[in-house]
Amino acid sequence: MHEQPEVIVESTDILIAGSGAAGMRAAIAGHDTGAKVVLLAKGPRRANHTRMSGGRYNAVSGANPKDTPEAFYRDTVESGMDINNHELARILAYEAMDRAYDLEAYGLAWDRTEVEKYYMSMTGGGTFVRTLGSIDEGIGITEVMLHQLHARNVRICDFHMLVDVIVGEDGRVAGALALDLSRGVWRFYRCPTVIIATGGTSQLYETSSGPAINTGDGIAIALRAGAELVDIEFMQFIPISFVYPPSARGYTLTEPAHYGMRHFDPNAEAAHLVNNQGERFVLKHDPVRKEGSTRDVLARAIMLEILEGRGTPEGGVLMLPDKQVFEAFLKERPTYIKRLLENYGEGQARLEAPIPVMPSALYTLGGVRIDAWCRSRVPGLYAAGEAAGGVHGANRLGGSSMPDIQVFGRRAGMAAAEEAKARGPVPEEAGIAQARARASALERGMHATDGVRPIEVKKRIQKLMWDHVGLVRSGPKMEETLQQFGEIRAQVLPALKITGKSRILNREWMESIELGNLLDIAEAMASASLLRKETRGAHYRTDFPDLDPQWTANVLVKRDGAALTVEKQAVVCAEAPQTQLDKHKAIA
Amino acid sequence: MSKQITVVAEVRRHDPSQPGEPHYQRFEVTGIDSMRVLDVIRSIYENQAGDLAYQFACRVGRCGTCAVKVNGVPVLACQEKCKPRMRIEPLTPFPVLRDLVVDRTEVEARYAALKLTPQRTSAHPGRPEPIEPAVAEKLCHYDLCLACMVCVSACPAVAERAFDGPAYMLKLRHMAAHPADSANRLDQALEAGMLECFNCDVCTQLCPADLSPAQAVRDFRKQMIFGGGKPA
Amino acid sequence: MSVALPRNTTNQTEGWLVGDIARVLHRVTGGVIVVFVLVHVAAQAALHAPAMAAVKSSVGTWLPIAQSQHWVHAVLYFSLVFHTLYGLRLVASELGARFDYRRSLWVIIGLSALVGLREVARYV
Repeated sequence: MHEQPEVIVESTDILIAGSGAAGMRAAIAGHDTGAKVVLLAKGPRRANHTRMSGGRYNAVSGANPKDTPEAFYRDTVESGMDINNHELARILAYEAMDRAYDLEAYGLAWDRTEVEKYYMSMTGGGTFVRTLGSIDEGIGITEVMLHQLHARNVRICDFHMLVDVIVGEDGRVAGALALDLSRGVWRFYRCPTVIIATGGTSQLYETSSGPAINTGDGIAIALRAGAELVDIEFMQFIPISFVYPPSARGYTLTEPAHYGMRHFDPNAEAAHLVNNQGERFVLKHDPVRKEGSTRDVLARAIMLEILEGRGTPEGGVLMLPDKQVFEAFLKERPTYIKRLLENYGEGQARLEAPIPVMPSALYTLGGVRIDAWCRSRVPGLYAAGEAAGGVHGANRLGGSSMPDIQVFGRRAGMAAAEEAKARGPVPEEAGIAQARARASALERGMHATDGVRPIEVKKRIQKLMWDHVGLVRSGPKMEETLQQFGEIRAQVLPALKITGKSRILNREWMESIELGNLLDIAEAMASASLLRKETRGAHYRTDFPDLDPQWTANVLVKRDGAALTVEKQAVVCAEAPQTQLDKHKAIA
Repeated sequence: MSKQITVVAEVRRHDPSQPGEPHYQRFEVTGIDSMRVLDVIRSIYENQAGDLAYQFACRVGRCGTCAVKVNGVPVLACQEKCKPRMRIEPLTPFPVLRDLVVDRTEVEARYAALKLTPQRTSAHPGRPEPIEPAVAEKLCHYDLCLACMVCVSACPAVAERAFDGPAYMLKLRHMAAHPADSANRLDQALEAGMLECFNCDVCTQLCPADLSPAQAVRDFRKQMIFGGGKPA
Repeated sequence: MSVALPRNTTNQTEGWLVGDIARVLHRVTGGVIVVFVLVHVAAQAALHAPAMAAVKSSVGTWLPIAQSQHWVHAVLYFSLVFHTLYGLRLVASELGARFDYRRSLWVIIGLSALVGLREVARYV
């Protein structure tokens, strides 16, 4: 048999997985609260979803006298179709602005119209103009935060993939097992607290906007460690993204291109969408708001057109942009105009020619269920950012992810530091045996000589998710999909082949580990979607196409041994929750 | 209308942990004509060489982690259009981890040593910091630097002299331009070899974020001659 | 007048790296000037310095030939003009002047070539 792989052990107070803004903000907060922090980045630290955001930052700055944090909170809950965790939504609304000032303190300059007056724009679904911005801010935000981490001497480990959180016999976090991909070496971080900030699950879908590394690792790891997932059935799809070249397919085109003058004036008209017959097909779906409808309605409308054969040859529909917003768009997000130029052409870049667009998986609305301080139900396990669920409910406001990751990243860091201080160091032998066993199991793949390549399985899962657990869902199809997932788990996963045997940066090995995570979340999503017998926000079912007030509730998913438990629970409105059990066993 | 084309890629392979010298492996890839170099690399990995080591994440030119050398020119693999013949190599002058992936540890160490956070003499006011809109816009543009290292790789002065590189000059200039920063960024630039810059603008030409590190150096040199830095 | 778009940077491997051309040209022309000065000083010393009377006649074996080649004049004048103009442009850019690095190079090469070609016309 193969010998036990070596596992290098070290200790820390807080282990953070994820180098996006949530992870980085948690690292800053944890460090400033006095804890020793280690941050793991699955690839180079700049490879994260935050980086890709060209979007905006919703906050009540006071520059719009009509706006209040209460209004922002109400917008958040209304957009989330009332199933948000109301406490979290309120925290987001009230703390967003202070975190914006923090970013400015770090060196980010918010766009201004005057020396002390921020530039603001509208966001889809918001009531008042409140959204701040900083030119192509995802890059700026990650850069200023990285330098803040350098200033604090916080250790960031590139190419370190979190593989599992090890829970001790006392039911508390004992540490985290990670794989140093740059050397093929296992590491166990003995620590009382772990913060999951690994982002979302965009890679679960055939066409997605997020980065290649977002395979939902942290969410799956938390699920396996005993945490609950909430709202995992909700995946936000952006209606418009690039159709070609292949590398850019699925990358979001963002609001201004689509909303046109609506970006500044809530009563203006959005850019028209036409199919290959030149028809404005959205009018069939939402004759009132037309192309100004919500993201989910538009995404579905476009998807249906493409599925029914009325799309362009490359697989999209056409958006007829409003060239009036060109200069504003150019100023706010020059990189997007650049991409339009490079991917499509000058006419499209000037917003003067039709732009090919298609829907794409953008944001994981659900995730690890957390409380106001980012605690999951496993003591010592925290989650923040896209990996956490409950803040946004069934549909996220554009511009709310940026403040979410700052607000909850900070809370996670602070709370984890306090807990680490209170708990003290983890006993020496705790968790090591489990870590070694897990590492050993995952070494198996490296020695397989025959089987299926991970990339084939990943594509299969991505196609199933896109076709049946994506924009358009139905009970029978999801049942069938769950069956297929079961078969993949039972027969395919144990027989994966890894071609190359180098331990250094073995992508196939990484993908084989990711596959386990993808499958865990795919099953959770399908199961939760099956339970929710209605249509709400991003979750649309052809067999239950209407909103059901009885379903103003959340679906919780947790592991029960090898099976998944899916149950309905009342929305958290700072009242005592009531549970109704409805077990759905996943095929083991 | 897009069509299918076949391209030839010679990819540099090397595993430092194994015996054997670096060598080039030839691949033919067929795909849509708008393919980027990254699409070619991914196709090779998916269909021909499952043991290829390469790096990418965002694939839309925002993370900067996919930089490689194509036909001798450092570029972002996800942005550069594929060519009929391509020689694809890891980004010089960085140590190679394996195949096309380089080790950026020293890059981060250099950034850390430069202390690229505003060295404040007073705390942030907790309300909009007084910054001229034009200055804010300029800061945002400096912020766009991806730290991709394409400029450092292409810089002839980095190859020949004791010069950290254009990227570091740009970030130092970013801080120098920030109203809340009080550090002597000119001194730091000089220490990092700013005077070695040839003022050739190769970095400007190759920057995937449309920035000009050479202009940052020129701004520093002008400051060196005429003064005009912030009072200490 | 339309607002300028960002650049299309998806064909960076095609075409020339302008800065490389500029740098190499500046070096080569600088080298030419240095060589010229050395040769000129040596030749003049050989022709006029009493101490070098022994080698004075040998200068006549190569100097007139060199001086009658049109390309020698062309290369020399091109080098002088290019190196000076480009050098001035570098200094000016560091004093605050703004140049388009492509346009300024081609203009300077053009002017230098004109002067070089004029020499060809004179000596051909």
